[in-house]
Amino acid sequence: MVMAPRKHREREMLFDSVIALVFILVACVDLCDGATVVDVYRLIQYDMSGVPFGSRLASLNHHAASLHFSPHTDLSRTVLLIPLRELNMSFVKEYIAESKPLGGLIFLLPRMFSFENKDGMGSNNQDESKEPLRNVLAELEQILIHANLPYPVYFAFEDDNIDAVLADIKKNDVTGQPATATTGGYKFVVSAAEPRKVVSPPITNIQGWLAGLKTDDDAHQLPTIAIVASYDTFGAAPALSVGSDSNGSGIVALLEVARLFSLLYSNPKTRGQYNLLFGLTSGGPYNYNGTRKWLWSFDQRMRESIDYAICLDSIGSWENELWIHVSKPPENAFIKKIVEDFSSVAEELGFKVNLKHKKINISNPRVAWEHEQFSRLRVTAATLSELSTAPELLEKTGGLVDSRHFVNEATIVRSVKLIAESLARHIYGHQGKNIQIFADNTNLAVNPSYVRSWLDVLSQTPRVAPFLAKDDPFVMALKKELEDHTDEVNLHRDVLEGVFTFYDSTRAKLNIYQVASVTFDLLLLLVLGSYLIVLFSFLVITTRGLDDLISLFRRPPSRKVKTA
Amino acid sequence: MTVFHFFNCAILTFGPHAVYYSATPLSEYDTLGTSIKAAVVYLATALVKLICLATFLKVSESDSFDPYQEILKALIGFIDVAGLYFALTQLTHRNISQNHKFQAVGLGWAFADSVLHRLAPLWVGARGLEFTWDYILQGLEANANLVLSISLAALGSLMWLRKNKPKTLIPIIYLSAVIVATMPSITSYLRRGLGWHFPKVVGFELFTSLVMAFISWQLFAACQRPSV
Repeated sequence: MVMAPRKHREREMLFDSVIALVFILVACVDLCDGATVVDVYRLIQYDMSGVPFGSRLASLNHHAASLHFSPHTDLSRTVLLIPLRELNMSFVKEYIAESKPLGGLIFLLPRMFSFENKDGMGSNNQDESKEPLRNVLAELEQILIHANLPYPVYFAFEDDNIDAVLADIKKNDVTGQPATATTGGYKFVVSAAEPRKVVSPPITNIQGWLAGLKTDDDAHQLPTIAIVASYDTFGAAPALSVGSDSNGSGIVALLEVARLFSLLYSNPKTRGQYNLLFGLTSGGPYNYNGTRKWLWSFDQRMRESIDYAICLDSIGSWENELWIHVSKPPENAFIKKIVEDFSSVAEELGFKVNLKHKKINISNPRVAWEHEQFSRLRVTAATLSELSTAPELLEKTGGLVDSRHFVNEATIVRSVKLIAESLARHIYGHQGKNIQIFADNTNLAVNPSYVRSWLDVLSQTPRVAPFLAKDDPFVMALKKELEDHTDEVNLHRDVLEGVFTFYDSTRAKLNIYQVASVTFDLLLLLVLGSYLIVLFSFLVITTRGLDDLISLFRRPPSRKVKTA
Repeated sequence: MTVFHFFNCAILTFGPHAVYYSATPLSEYDTLGTSIKAAVVYLATALVKLICLATFLKVSESDSFDPYQEILKALIGFIDVAGLYFALTQLTHRNISQNHKFQAVGLGWAFADSVLHRLAPLWVGARGLEFTWDYILQGLEANANLVLSISLAALGSLMWLRKNKPKTLIPIIYLSAVIVATMPSITSYLRRGLGWHFPKVVGFELFTSLVMAFISWQLFAACQRPSV
């Protein structure tokens, strides 16, 4: 009688401590420890005039399969892991065109497209093995940008971990067992919040002013030459759109030209009678929206004082031809002069500069070249580019393929020489004379290491305008660099307007889990159950004898009576 | 699905203890109190052991096998034996036979060990999405540990509680007890000194536990014979 309450209390205490232990354990559980964690970059999600494009989802929790899946399987709950090297374009087109249901897509890019990978950087772009991959990726990028995909699409880079996973998945698929909830395999999990709209994406234009020398103090304003490059990018993966060529090369060339002329203008003897205006504009991929805003912010006199504007666009991977794109007819006196300056310098440097005339259609909202924004405001302008034809909207805007591997800094150095020398001829009036101001091995020579270091920085900095913060370190770095070379630097801030709406969540972590199937767990339960039953029977037989075991099954109530 | 897996592993880890209790006469004589007392003694012993380990052992940066440290660890491991001695001799049990006493103590001992060492990793690990064999192996290890604990308790009861045992068997009893008591150090040596993998270590543990159980059973039976 005395024992019973004590025992009761003992049991209660045990329960209490067990519950406390469980609570402590639950508190320190961290469930997100996958076997492999991979950085993934999401396909851009945007609306154009309200029409949705890109990947419309961010979170992912599905089993993985490779391209070797057996036909006629339902893939609506499966993530396809596709290495770019094995990509079958017709498959992608088929799936996207027919909008077949998929659980998700993950594209594995070769390491050479990663901006963290530096080996072999700046090597010549003649490498045959890279060229086909590059073309495939460029085609894929355009398809993905212009498709509406109702599932998450991510990009990742090949590495040892994910290659091993891929090999395993392929092995599974070849045996004809697609991974589903019942057969195990790999599970890919990206836990990301629902993508939200980027509210009023900021654009920041940076302008630097290098004042010319006034000879006499008459009120007459000095003419201005503008050198402009758009600095932002657009691509299938915003977090990977570094745009080394479009328009990293233009930014680098602009900075180097600014540096060279700041040397010249620091000495009153060599200061030219032209003001120089350096403009780094944002919103380039969206019909040069930032350039437009920037130009409209000028007052009328300022705009009229611009003699001409040179826009730099993609000048980092050409062979022996550059193009000057204009919208005024080539017979125009100003245009003629610009072209003459450039082509004569180019001839001396041993390559060709061609002129291409494309009329502006005012009613068409598409602005293919940056100079067209100037021309629309009746400012003489030209674009220097390696592209012979105008790119389409959202094409050649520094996307996935535009990596450092395909840009050669020697080419940019040549472009810089051309630009600086042509400008100098115009400013100092040396037309027709063979004078090299920026000759090699002088203190005015183009500095290749400066070009290279800026190119490297740009090739590691994704800069899709809506995802650049207002005071992004990158914008501040550009501003500071221009401040070093020019007298006055201003930031012109505005909001990206137009038909585009962007959604955030551009990068995420992919957790890869190796999971067992439900069948396996059921089987395990069966095995364990029989193990325990066998163990029970064995123990009963050895300690109490076989009869006891049999009686246990035969007359269970008898035991109850006994214990009670 | 993963809760399912956790459930499976929990059955494997803790099921045999329950089965042992209910299948053997332990349940008929209601020795649960003894088992709980043994478990409490185990917890106290584990605390003392932890304090000793923290006091005397350096934290090794590398995962290598340092003999001096391991010997120290093995010596500290003998605190277990002291705890078991206390549980077997000092605790006042209700009138249960020696036969059941050592079983109850061994069972409580092993169960407390499983709860302390395996429940937390199981809870954290087996519920995750990632599948590994580790928790199943860990459950098997718990089974081996149960057998070893009961063997050790049996040998301990032979050493400390039984007075009239054959003289010739005494050295064998002591030798077996030492072997069983040093099992943690031996497995630790296999794992880190020889670099055995977990499945192999668990296999070894299962095998040795069965062998030791057989030996101690034989010894127990041999001691039983003249007295009965």
